[in-house]
Amino acid sequence: MLTRRSLLRGSAAAGAAGTALLAGLNGARAQAEGDPIPVGAALPMSGIAAADGIEFQNGLTMAVDEINAAGGVLGRPLELHVEDTADMGADLVSQAMQRLIDRYEAPVIINGYNSGTNMVEMDVAADNDVIFCHYNTMISHNNKFKEDPERYYGCFQGDPPEYYYGPGLLTYLNTLIESGQWTPPNRKLALIPSANEYSIVIANAVRDQAAEYGWEISLYETVQFPNNQWGPTLAKLRQDPPAVIAVTHFLPQDLAQFMVQFAPQPMNSLIYMQYGPSLPAFKEIGGDAVKGVLYSTVVGCLPDEFSEAFRSSYRERFGENSSYLTGSQTYDGLWKWALAAAIAGGPGAPFDREQAMKVAASMNRLIYRGVNGICRFDPEGQSAFCYPTQIADASLGMPHQFLQHQDVAADPVMVAPGSYAKAPFMMPPWMS
Amino acid sequence: MLDILTAVLVTGLTNGALYALATVGLSLIWGSMGMLNMAHGAMLALGGYITFTVVETLGLPLPVAMLAAVAAGALAGMLLYLGIVRSLLKSGGPGFETSVMIATVGIAIALQNALLLVYGGQPLRQPFAISGAVGVGAGVVPLLNIVIVAVAVAVMVAVSVLISRTRMGRAIRATAQNRDAALLMGVPVGRVYLQVLALSGGLAGICGVLVSSITQLTPGLGADPMLKAFIMCVVAGLGNLPGAIAAAFGLAIIEAAVQFGAGARWGFPVLLLLVIAILIWRPAGLFGRAQIRRM
Repeated sequence: MLTRRSLLRGSAAAGAAGTALLAGLNGARAQAEGDPIPVGAALPMSGIAAADGIEFQNGLTMAVDEINAAGGVLGRPLELHVEDTADMGADLVSQAMQRLIDRYEAPVIINGYNSGTNMVEMDVAADNDVIFCHYNTMISHNNKFKEDPERYYGCFQGDPPEYYYGPGLLTYLNTLIESGQWTPPNRKLALIPSANEYSIVIANAVRDQAAEYGWEISLYETVQFPNNQWGPTLAKLRQDPPAVIAVTHFLPQDLAQFMVQFAPQPMNSLIYMQYGPSLPAFKEIGGDAVKGVLYSTVVGCLPDEFSEAFRSSYRERFGENSSYLTGSQTYDGLWKWALAAAIAGGPGAPFDREQAMKVAASMNRLIYRGVNGICRFDPEGQSAFCYPTQIADASLGMPHQFLQHQDVAADPVMVAPGSYAKAPFMMPPWMS
Repeated sequence: MLDILTAVLVTGLTNGALYALATVGLSLIWGSMGMLNMAHGAMLALGGYITFTVVETLGLPLPVAMLAAVAAGALAGMLLYLGIVRSLLKSGGPGFETSVMIATVGIAIALQNALLLVYGGQPLRQPFAISGAVGVGAGVVPLLNIVIVAVAVAVMVAVSVLISRTRMGRAIRATAQNRDAALLMGVPVGRVYLQVLALSGGLAGICGVLVSSITQLTPGLGADPMLKAFIMCVVAGLGNLPGAIAAAFGLAIIEAAVQFGAGARWGFPVLLLLVIAILIWRPAGLFGRAQIRRM
């Protein structure tokens, strides 16, 4: 049983940086005994993204337990309510969010990601004056926020938008060359996105800035979503082998299949992917073929000492095959909101615009060091700042993590950015 | 050039074998019962997960696990008949085709969510995995793809023999041709339907193992093969088994060639355009009868 005392005792090791702060804000209200605060989450608990939906729920469950053990928010315990968004899309997600508000009167909704929504969630939040924090990782969040900041004042993206994958990759590649860690056979880069907005925005960001960084796009091949037969695409790549193959499709199982089908006839190409390789399924399915794959993510639990207790607690509670990298997102999101709500004097309720604006202002002011790194919102788009591409100060932005599968029997190793790196880049076995 | 041809053919033949196996199961039921089994995809997933459980949890050898997948699929098919289809056949009358389609959609959702509850959502690795490759000219052919095609072809040959050479197959064909005449000849039609659903379920089970070996184990793994199988069935003419197999291989190779020639994203749209063109040209499908009715 998690108690306030045991939580506070373990907080330094647990990396729950907000525990002491929240307990301090709660003051004499040490026990979370007031009226429960409904916390909503519209997550894909079934359908193609169910694996991630379950992890998002796990992260929220952990955060709720810890926050309640620290006295809740000003003495009021949190009560989690999850609505299934199944195969996602604007209709299902907006209905799920509206149900959370209508049925439970949730003043806050913390989502993981929902795809194909065209950011309609922001309209639901704005229409009902609730705080909404999500991890869709979309530049369209920023664009929509900019259209009407007064209307979308309560909408936050807890991580940097996917756009920063583009310049982040190009910068990292050039760093590898300049530091002598890699000598590319040419300056060609092949881009393999899949047919969805997230993947294409990243590929386009690389394509549009490649020349500026000294790279030539030799192939831009969009594959269907999902895609597990890579034969025709690999045949095209082998016609003109590039120095870098950047696959911006993100499903871990498909990316693992890419490596399995690449391995029998490899090219002298560095392989970069994003997000998918951070999930256990990538290694589970790809086996030895994934050794050497480089990938990056703009959000994920850092493999550092600060986050160690979270990682071990998460695995202990939800199983060895669970993905703390995914659960950490909503975990941090709820923690940041809880602190902001306590600072603002309470969570408010739907249609209480005045209090919701106070909480939103508090969210904006609060620089929160969570298990994913720093979350500080960019006032231009109300998404987390991206370090180092968007902001040079590591203490003010969420790190764009570059990791590599160097040992398939162990966790991937962080190779950049410098201040977070745990090991140097390793030449992939098919290139050495 | 040879390596490109190899890559396209390997992809086309592998996909074709998987589509064909899924199509045979679907087509068999339609041809004999006029029933579109929307739970076929979920039964594929069930087969994949059963193999995983038998190997990883029970520690039994892979061949036993594959037989278990076939048995589980067959059992699921029989339960589908005894629990739902039999009642709908009795009470459905002319609305049977619609009601059974809706009922099996429900079964599919329930089965997928049951798998999600039991195994969780994280994709799992199918133990049926073979590493290594064979060199063909300048290209390579993964051993797994060769095994998939070989197993799929062997299963289809076995089904063909069963349908054309055995007493059970004769009863299935007789029931498909004319249910009333078969009844008058003493064919136990109810038992034939049970056998057909069991056979189709068994095929779904083995197909699920093969599909998940080249993709992954997730509760929704059968959705894509089910969609493609339905397309192949329609192109071939609903209920036509040899036509369905030919359509599956032909369209899969065309899809792979388009993916290479025009771009990977054009494979499926071109496939759909071809289907539309074929149905305009031959509304009953390439090899289809003019009218399909449940006997």
